[in-house]
Amino acid sequence: MNVLLVCSGGMSSAIVVKAIQSEAGKKGLAMNVKSIGAGELREQLKTGWDVVLVAPQVRHRLAEFQEAAAESGVPVALIPPQGYSPLGGAVVIAEIQKIVK
Amino acid sequence: MDKFFQLLDRYLIPVMTRMSEQRHLRAVRDGIISTIPLIIVGSFFLIIAFPPIPALAEAVKPYAGKILLPFRLTMGLMALYACHSIGYYLARSYKLDGVSGGVLAMAAFLLTSVPLTFEDKGLALSMEGLGGGGMFVAIVMAIFAVEVLRFTKERKLIIKMPEGVPDSVARSFEALIPAAVIIPAVWVLRDVVGFDIQRFVTELFQPLVMAGNTLGGILAPVIIITLLWATGIHGDSVVGTVARPVWLVLLDQNIAAAAAGQPIPNIAPEPFFQWFVWIGGSGATIGLVLLMLRSKSPYLRSMGRATFLPGVCNINEPVIFGVPVMLNPLLFVPFLLGPVLIATLTYFTMQLGLVTKPYILVPWTLPAPIGAYLATGGDWRAIVLVIVNIIIVTVLYYPFFQAYERKMLREEAGAIQEETK
Repeated sequence: MNVLLVCSGGMSSAIVVKAIQSEAGKKGLAMNVKSIGAGELREQLKTGWDVVLVAPQVRHRLAEFQEAAAESGVPVALIPPQGYSPLGGAVVIAEIQKIVK
Repeated sequence: MDKFFQLLDRYLIPVMTRMSEQRHLRAVRDGIISTIPLIIVGSFFLIIAFPPIPALAEAVKPYAGKILLPFRLTMGLMALYACHSIGYYLARSYKLDGVSGGVLAMAAFLLTSVPLTFEDKGLALSMEGLGGGGMFVAIVMAIFAVEVLRFTKERKLIIKMPEGVPDSVARSFEALIPAAVIIPAVWVLRDVVGFDIQRFVTELFQPLVMAGNTLGGILAPVIIITLLWATGIHGDSVVGTVARPVWLVLLDQNIAAAAAGQPIPNIAPEPFFQWFVWIGGSGATIGLVLLMLRSKSPYLRSMGRATFLPGVCNINEPVIFGVPVMLNPLLFVPFLLGPVLIATLTYFTMQLGLVTKPYILVPWTLPAPIGAYLATGGDWRAIVLVIVNIIIVTVLYYPFFQAYERKMLREEAGAIQEETK
């Protein structure tokens, strides 16, 4: 599964990417996760992603991200605040599984 | 306290985020951000030309002029670069051709300058209005140009190319009519009527720039950014959208003074906040992270370990959402008060001339003491000030952290009891 994380500059979401990957490894899930800054979203969406997850601190830009993703039909969801931490991998994976079955 | 957060959520957050998502401001934000790599690398040459070590400074002095050239052609033309990007992003936001928007914006901006004639060298364009000082002129002209582009397109005032003409060719003709409006319009106003657009716009925004450099002008963004982060919204990116042009003008004035070997005039360009206030990230959470490292609560201790390195690099989303600080009444007081306190202290320290005012933009992920040292052009006293600021916020966080730690310990003990039941 290909998961794209969007935050402001792609820095903080990189930490969450690691948390998701290690949790996915534990659960034996095959997951390709990547973090990007808000400005790169439009370009990235062309390369085939299953879901876009939005960092909580940029949730006020959700509409803008949804509009960008609508063109390629990729679902967009918010990361719950408690999942956005180095220890939040399990929370985010549960969220992903809710969206992409 | 919950009431307070609800009030923030209802009033401050929607106003601020809506403002930061306003189309023109968003284009200005994205346009300016795209020039930051040039500013960072360009202003590095300033440090090389004026190294902080006296012996070295003496040695490079004869070459200073040459070393400064990359700085002058990046930072020195910042408004020109930004103008193109702003035009590009604004056009794109209207789903118009970005490159046309950028090129038209640049033309409109350049037309506000009048080249000088030198008998032996020909025409020369003064760089003065094209640097950070001309930022507001660049913004106004970019918006003007793209709005004309949009207007002509909406009114179908475009030259339609027959079928079969390649897309890129057809697009370049779409900008023909807007160009035929923009160029004469600016020319008539500037050169025929003789209205100095650059001076007018610069003076119009001058009060804003001056206010940005006062103690109130420093504390207002500090408080708003912290309040936004306290509810989990990226305060810097929201407030920066509005404040960054002002910070860049202040930075440009500082850098110009430094390049001319004069005392630095302004306290409050962005590096002031970056290195002396947002130590470890917004809310100066480095103090909290240091305390968590030795916490008795296993959760907070593991949080401290996981957030220490990102914190050194000024990334603190893990602290804000993990601890969490967001909507946490126990940690809210030091989260707000800490930055206000150290911002005020730093302001007066610089006002008294005890630490050099910042004038170099360095990548924000450097550890604060190093960033502060470089941002002040190599003033070791900046390092001392950063360390003092870290001690202040750590002490301030301590009692609140203890209260939160006790709460966590109780909950953790409760969770274990639940499990053994």
